[in-house]
Amino acid sequence: MTESTVTLGRFFAAAREGRLTAIRCGGCGALAVPPKELCPECGARRWEPVPLSGEGTIASFTVIRVAPRGHADEAPYAIAAVRLREGVSLLGRVVDVPLDSLAIGMPVRFRPIVVKDRPAIGFGPRQP
Amino acid sequence: MRRVAVIGVGVTKFGRHERTSAELFAEAAADALADAEMPASRVQALYYGNVVGGETEKQLHTGPQAASVLGIPTVPTTRFETACASSHAAFRHAVMEVASGASDVVLVGGAERVLNVPTADSTEYFAYASDASWEQTLGLTFPGVFALVARAHMHKHGTTEEQMAAVAVKNHRHGVLNPKAQFRKEITLETVLSSPKVADPLKLYDCCPFSDGGAALVLASEDVARTARRPIWVLASAAASDWMLLGDKRDLSRVPATERAAAAAYRQAGIGPQDVDVVELHDCFTIAEIVATEGLGLFEPGAGGIAAEKGWTSLGGKIPVNPSGGLKAKGHPIGATGAAQICEVVTQLRGEAGARQVEGARRGLTHTLGGNTATVLVSLFGRD
Ligand SMILES: [Zn+2]
Repeated sequence: MTESTVTLGRFFAAAREGRLTAIRCGGCGALAVPPKELCPECGARRWEPVPLSGEGTIASFTVIRVAPRGHADEAPYAIAAVRLREGVSLLGRVVDVPLDSLAIGMPVRFRPIVVKDRPAIGFGPRQP
Repeated sequence: MRRVAVIGVGVTKFGRHERTSAELFAEAAADALADAEMPASRVQALYYGNVVGGETEKQLHTGPQAASVLGIPTVPTTRFETACASSHAAFRHAVMEVASGASDVVLVGGAERVLNVPTADSTEYFAYASDASWEQTLGLTFPGVFALVARAHMHKHGTTEEQMAAVAVKNHRHGVLNPKAQFRKEITLETVLSSPKVADPLKLYDCCPFSDGGAALVLASEDVARTARRPIWVLASAAASDWMLLGDKRDLSRVPATERAAAAAYRQAGIGPQDVDVVELHDCFTIAEIVATEGLGLFEPGAGGIAAEKGWTSLGGKIPVNPSGGLKAKGHPIGATGAAQICEVVTQLRGEAGARQVEGARRGLTHTLGGNTATVLVSLFGRD
């Protein structure tokens, strides 16, 4: 692990504070979601942290109605795959959006959330 | 590399059992050995699939346990875990052991027990196959994974909930013809469309059930297989993986691992999708069957929903898919599924599938998907 590597722990600690961090390959410039040791595009082992805007659009979504044991009291809840402006995608809970108005292409913005005492990715509404 | 054949198959009834997964495997394996007319003493290795034994049965080291319960305790045994594709992964490695000349007779199988725990618990255990930090924390479920695939497919191709429902109706109709199936009851489009939502747009009847069950098969080298009653040849067995995180997959309407595994399998066998007569594929959810029929090259991308709706994948249709009833109706004991699909295709190619026989089937394909589409195996089979 190099000094500039973004570990899962560091990523979620920053996310909790409202900052999303991707990593950019020093070899080919590819952008990736951490953690990664080697660049899947060129094999290089040089990453630099890059802040993400947190702005994106919904690429797909669902409403979970039958939840796992640990989340049963939270159902129903929305989960979306969100394509961020910079080109990487993240899965997150969609909050503050009526479940029946969710749509592919809907603009959303990252919002830090805590689910069962663990930091997680959330997305709230955004004006396009 | 030597030619390899399947010379014996065995499958338990799928559904609820009051026996351990090791017992279920042992029943299937003893049936497979009897079918092969092969004494257990000739088995040189066991390749075994089991997924959530650690959770539902508080049991690890399930490979040697299964071998012990079967009665072959000293045979080298390895347990494979690639989520729902576990026993298909076991199969591929077993094929390589026989093809390489290391062994002449190898047993492959798998088993799972989950109906001994409540649905909320099994839903959680299955979700362990998604990423713990990024996905489990969100409360993502397996229906949720395929709901994301379904929405993307509907958006890109105009696939409808009715087309997805048609997959469930067809697989239930096939399941009626399979004595080993968990559900042997016809359903209608209305049954599916009016069933409770699990993860929008997927409803209860878009989902395969939780199941207990076991499956096993006997692999043999060409020399041994030549003396067998009805050898079915392994023409290819290929695996492919893909990004673990759903966020890292560029197009959720596709399963690239299916496309890569299929391309590799067709290349190995020297045949194409047009040469396949019968298919057992991984319909853990109705949309999964639609996307798989496209990824395997049976239909153009986006045409899988239309194919289901038109009945092209029914028994008697252009290319019968899941004559066993599939995971939807036959059931899905996850560690056993890959082996059970192979058992069905072998039975079909032998012409021994009874009421669900695909007439004149000469070549068959099995497709098994593991986890959030990160593992896929595709194998091809042929009769003499
Ligand atoms: Zn690179």
